[in-house]
Amino acid sequence: MLSPCRVLDLTTERGFLCGQLLGDLGADVIKVEPPGGSIARSLEPFFGDQPGPDRSIYWWSYNRNKRGITLDIQSEHGREILHRLVRDTDILIESENPGAMTARHLGYDDLRRINPALVYVSITPFGQDGPKAGYADSDLIIMAAGGVLILYGDEDRAPIRMSIPQAYLHACVDAGAAALIAYYERLNSQLGQHVDVAAQESVALAAQSVPLTGLVHGDDTRRMAGGVKMGPIRVPLVWEARDGQVSCVFLFGTALGQFTRKFVDYLYREGACDKAMHETDWIGYGGKLLSGEEPMEAYEHVKGVVAAFFKSKTKMELFEIAREHNFLIAPVATIDDVLRNPQFIARDYWQEIKQPEAAVTLRYPGPFARFSTKPIEYRRRPPAVGEHNHEVFVGDLGLSESEFRELARKGII
Amino acid sequence: MAPSLPLRDVKVLDFMWVLAGPGITRMLADYGATVIRVESTGRTDPTRTVGPFQNNRPGTESSALWGNNNAGKFGITLDLSKPEARNVVLDLVRWADLVCEAFSPKAMRAWGFDYESLRKVKPDIIMLSTCLMGQTGPLARFAGFGNLAAALCGFYNLVGWPDRPPSGPFSAYTDYIAPRFGATAVMAALIHHKRTGEGQYIDQAQAESALHFLTLPLLDSVANGRKYSPVANYDPYHAPHGVYPAAGDDRWIAIACRTEEQWQALCRAMKRDGLATDSRFKSLGDRQANQDQLDRIISEWTGRLDGHQAESLLQSSGVPAHVVQNSSDMSDDPQLKHREHFVQVAHPTLGETFVEGSRFKLSRTAAQVERPAPMIGEHGQYVLEKILGYDEERISQLVVDGVLG
Repeated sequence: MLSPCRVLDLTTERGFLCGQLLGDLGADVIKVEPPGGSIARSLEPFFGDQPGPDRSIYWWSYNRNKRGITLDIQSEHGREILHRLVRDTDILIESENPGAMTARHLGYDDLRRINPALVYVSITPFGQDGPKAGYADSDLIIMAAGGVLILYGDEDRAPIRMSIPQAYLHACVDAGAAALIAYYERLNSQLGQHVDVAAQESVALAAQSVPLTGLVHGDDTRRMAGGVKMGPIRVPLVWEARDGQVSCVFLFGTALGQFTRKFVDYLYREGACDKAMHETDWIGYGGKLLSGEEPMEAYEHVKGVVAAFFKSKTKMELFEIAREHNFLIAPVATIDDVLRNPQFIARDYWQEIKQPEAAVTLRYPGPFARFSTKPIEYRRRPPAVGEHNHEVFVGDLGLSESEFRELARKGII
Repeated sequence: MAPSLPLRDVKVLDFMWVLAGPGITRMLADYGATVIRVESTGRTDPTRTVGPFQNNRPGTESSALWGNNNAGKFGITLDLSKPEARNVVLDLVRWADLVCEAFSPKAMRAWGFDYESLRKVKPDIIMLSTCLMGQTGPLARFAGFGNLAAALCGFYNLVGWPDRPPSGPFSAYTDYIAPRFGATAVMAALIHHKRTGEGQYIDQAQAESALHFLTLPLLDSVANGRKYSPVANYDPYHAPHGVYPAAGDDRWIAIACRTEEQWQALCRAMKRDGLATDSRFKSLGDRQANQDQLDRIISEWTGRLDGHQAESLLQSSGVPAHVVQNSSDMSDDPQLKHREHFVQVAHPTLGETFVEGSRFKLSRTAAQVERPAPMIGEHGQYVLEKILGYDEERISQLVVDGVLG
């Protein structure tokens, strides 16, 4: 759909997903790696647990639908070649620490002179400037800084993060949307601009507006094992079923209380709760808890009744009930459960890609959205080191065969 | 003159709902799109009933969650069970470039607002449907919130302590992933439309977008048969890597050392140079094997310190560290202030309130929050008169007929 958009992807392991999204949407994305290959190729897990540049599952995860070239952008000659590539580039993506690209004469102000229409996307932990722009970071650090980590984990222990790093993924997809907003604007103005994505601000979205609490003088939200504490009200989201857990929303108010009312109707019909609980006003229940009209012990009793019902059923039995009656209940899935989920299979979601160097066929999450005009296709597997050097440097850029060999000899590509 | 915002020419009819959908149109509004949010009478958007609430007073107009997700939009309420409301919607479809909806798949069809019907009214319309599981398949009609999609996607088992049932991510996790993908999808469709004049239909299953955040374990599971279960704050590349107590109630500091230099800098900052040569903690593997001992030593040190001071000390020594920020830290954070992350907006009844700004900066066409989120039905008159050009008589009739709720 984005064709003929050309993207130059200079990102480190922080930023791979952004270019992949644009590649999925049909852009011609060229991933630039240093000679010898990206450091991300040495990141685990590896296929068969055996390290190797063409065995890293980390690399494979986010470099689909890109062509791959190697280029030493630290060297002057390498930079010169990059400048030539930039002339025909619509979107450039980088994820170095602030200032690092400028130090190499590859900052936005350097490259806009070569190509004023360039959309230049920077993905950093805290943004291009400001008191924390130079902070050392990691996934955990950004989750802490973004107001998300404090909400994760059990109230009687330290906060914990999601064990699969997420911070830069949030930033990368924001960067994809931002790049396309700038690209759309460029179709009118013919001008590029600098897109500055700060992972701290991106991840803050996952705190569900809790970061606004202080500014609006609201009641604080705190973490709780398998749920959340909204002011004094302890709201469980994870419940024990007979064979694992389910997630369920059992809440109050004009909107959510309706679901609770329907669910308690069902519990009553099934003989799982008494008449008093059945007749409770779930719309106004939260307000009564806050005012003290309804004691917290009564709410704890209600949760006990619901918990006993869940404990008497398997996850799948509960899911069947939820689907039949439109209740807000879903099983807590393992990764294996996800792969077996009939919905994703019925929608042909999983996409297989062969990696010939490692003789393995990978099963990828499929299109992130389904377009009626130009459906997302997985046209290219993640490239091997320098796989498209000849195609790009000779074919696209017009270097002669001897210039190409010379670059290889000097170790620039 | 400042250049006009990138999406100034984009008109959006917004049938979004709860969190994942409105997040998309909020992003479009930040960059200049005219967004008309339709609320259906009798169906209060759940985010209007979830906090944080301004001055801690719950009410359908005081939710900062609603305010944050719907800033910059116009709001109209319509009683969609009435045929006249249907005509208003179809006029809005003729006006719009993009129709977005986040109801369950059957709802739009029941109203006759499915893509096939809308393209008859406006052949080049772009329509995005976003729902938990997608428009087709056995679970298409399974509706609900992002916590349920997060459970089905496998996120819950990745947050937790090894000795306990999973804690799960905070609240509705996929609702914070899906909007970014949805906005990217919509932008691609708008670019395609600008180039070719062609509209289209987009089916976004929020779960299918969100699974891209789990590509690594999904690939690993198929390729290597690996199982994933809760590991608290363990990380294969960092040690120490954890959250340590700071002075005060529920105050913590996150510390993550990836390189030898960072580890040695931490030892120096703690004035425990001996640790760097201690055989228990020499290599990354040693530190991981003796993580409990190391965590105790670090906790003893951090526990006496103010978290912000510890953060400054560690960062100035080159150690990745940050206070685990709560909401007051967020509003006081000098970096977020520098970035103007929180934006003050004047609200008709709440007075001055706040929303979060755009999560990225465009150097030449910076985002703007042009108005607070709409109150229920706030812009009904404006939309009918100024946008659709209805005359006074027609508007009065709609009011009398209860079409506006």
